[in-house]
Amino acid sequence: MLEVKNLSKYFGSIKAVNELSFRVNRGEIFGLLGPNGAGKSTTIKSILNIIKPNDGEIFFDNHPIDEKFLNNIGYLPEERGLYKKSKVIDVILYFASLKGLNSNEVISRANFWLEKLHITDLKNRKIEELSKGNQQKIQFISAVIHNPDLLILDEPFSGFDPINQQEIKNFILDFLDNGKCIILSTHQMDTAEKLCSEILLLNNGRSVLQGTLQEIKKKFGGNHIRVNFDGDENILSSFTEVISYEVYSNLIDIHLTDNISPSDFLKKLIQRVSVNHFSIIEPTLEKIFIDTIKNEKSK
Amino acid sequence: MNKALIVAKWEFIEKVKSKAFVISLFLTPLLIIFFSVAPTLLMQSENDETLVIGILDFTNEYFEQVRNDLESIKLSNGTPAYLVQSLKVEGLSKDSLLIQADSKVLSKKIEGYLFIDKSESDSLIVNFRSKSVVNFKLLSVLEKSVNDIFLINQLTKENLDVRVLSFIKNKIEINPIKIKKLGEEGESEFLTTFFSSMIFILLLMMIIIYSGQMLVRSLLEEKSNRLIEILVSSCTSNQLLVGKILGLGFLGLAQIFVWILFGIAAVGSAIVSISTFENLPIILFYFLLGYLFYTSLFVGIGSIVSTEQEAQQITSYLSIILVLPIIFLLSAMQNPDSAIVNVLTYIPFTLPSIMIMKANLLEIPITEHLIAIAIMFVSTAVVVYLSGKIFRIGILSYGKMPTLKELKSWLKE
Repeated sequence: MLEVKNLSKYFGSIKAVNELSFRVNRGEIFGLLGPNGAGKSTTIKSILNIIKPNDGEIFFDNHPIDEKFLNNIGYLPEERGLYKKSKVIDVILYFASLKGLNSNEVISRANFWLEKLHITDLKNRKIEELSKGNQQKIQFISAVIHNPDLLILDEPFSGFDPINQQEIKNFILDFLDNGKCIILSTHQMDTAEKLCSEILLLNNGRSVLQGTLQEIKKKFGGNHIRVNFDGDENILSSFTEVISYEVYSNLIDIHLTDNISPSDFLKKLIQRVSVNHFSIIEPTLEKIFIDTIKNEKSK
Repeated sequence: MNKALIVAKWEFIEKVKSKAFVISLFLTPLLIIFFSVAPTLLMQSENDETLVIGILDFTNEYFEQVRNDLESIKLSNGTPAYLVQSLKVEGLSKDSLLIQADSKVLSKKIEGYLFIDKSESDSLIVNFRSKSVVNFKLLSVLEKSVNDIFLINQLTKENLDVRVLSFIKNKIEINPIKIKKLGEEGESEFLTTFFSSMIFILLLMMIIIYSGQMLVRSLLEEKSNRLIEILVSSCTSNQLLVGKILGLGFLGLAQIFVWILFGIAAVGSAIVSISTFENLPIILFYFLLGYLFYTSLFVGIGSIVSTEQEAQQITSYLSIILVLPIIFLLSAMQNPDSAIVNVLTYIPFTLPSIMIMKANLLEIPITEHLIAIAIMFVSTAVVVYLSGKIFRIGILSYGKMPTLKELKSWLKE
């Protein structure tokens, strides 16, 4: 389990990260979200021990993160690049040996990953001869070849076509099954929504929204349902639990008070009309993101 | 394996494999050999054409002797190098003879002609008239020949024995001997010493500038595509720094090794004298100290650049500092004990070049070696330490170059 406590980092008078705390449990993908310049990179670099925070502590399984722990972290930076003039296999071996793997181990693992990503035949090619997507795959292999307990992925899907995105997504999920911690930093809200179990939304170095996806949606979304039933919609006015409703061509969106759960309301509703459709409306993560950041700005 | 060594191995192998390195590895010594040998070879290379030389001798004392001297010189294929003809024609005036001779030169019938006459005050006038600047070799043969005859004529005139000439012409040369230790001495010649020192110092500078540029460029590449972030999330910045310095150090050694092989080949073919390599161990040692010092400097300063232009600026500034000792080299060679040389011996920037030069000139006392080595070790350690501080932050900062004030704060952190 990764634990970040009261992390602060200042650059001159700018507070890039301000008293940030969070934890990432094993077997969980943690979404680190936020607009550009919110402090995501600074947070990641602090965890990677690349920069020294001014304040705060970072633990993994209750041990402070230090030089030795670097061998146990995998990192895929947002901006990708590899040694263009070097051979694929050489680059993978170099990064793996820097992570403390011995060469016999590395070669078999490199072969395993190359095969898994269907690029074994590119092994002896130069990086510059590879397509962008394949270069990204090499970088992905370099980030996971040492089987790290903590994997930090910064925009892992950018530059991949939908098929490759799916491939990498499955990979990340496979990896997670082994009880790893993954931090995912991305601007693709739909991806974060699908993959992350916990979210932290950063703005100006501060956490503005934090919790499991359900909690956040619940907190943010209020009590909204969408229904379709046979009969007069004016009947809705007679329910004290209904705050307001909007009628569309064949759907009605209803805003309920907090003291009734959607299912209890459904029970009440079926007693009066015949219900054809019932769903709970959740705000998308994207909407939450935009609204929260806008709200912060107006403060 | 230590991570610094992993980095060193990578830096070394990837750079050794690069085309640019292989080219420079072989091209540099070839160029140096070419530039040091070509002028001599060109001077020695004879014209394989027989040249026709005219002589217009109004004294009638020189023609025979000069012709004999000139025609005895043979080309490499055995044919005479010069054909000599008298331009005197009976019955013509001096002026018309001159006009005739000049027109022969202009129409390229003859290469040029020797004009010998007596002035009114009875002194000798000797000119060589030709269309272009006269060949240096021909002129020296003519001078020698004319001077000999002139001397013999003077001796005969004064009723002196002509054999005196051989005494006069026997010059005594002073043989410079360098005393190394009691009972051990060696020949020393200024020019050989100068050139051998110069070659080593130039090589040192070329290797440093070349690998410095390579280092800054590779740092720039790693910075611009954020490879550096992967690297420093795998090892500490100090391991990376030390690894890069070591990797380039081995690269320098590999270059020197290949170049020594070239040198041995050159000695074997007698292009370079063996004395050039006499002080090799000492020279190599200082070479390496200088190399490490400058590489550490390049790593630190190179880490703050983020564009190609900045990289070029910085490497050229450093290169100028590096090349500075050349200005003092000649004066230092003439007087290796002068105050300025003594000062430069204690400045780490110039110390390696000066010591390489001194090692060729004189026997350096062991205490001076120890002081020099201590200076280099301490200053390299200081540079590595400071570079480490700059490097740690520099590699992660992008955009504009830091100001001096910012650099100061980096050093304090």
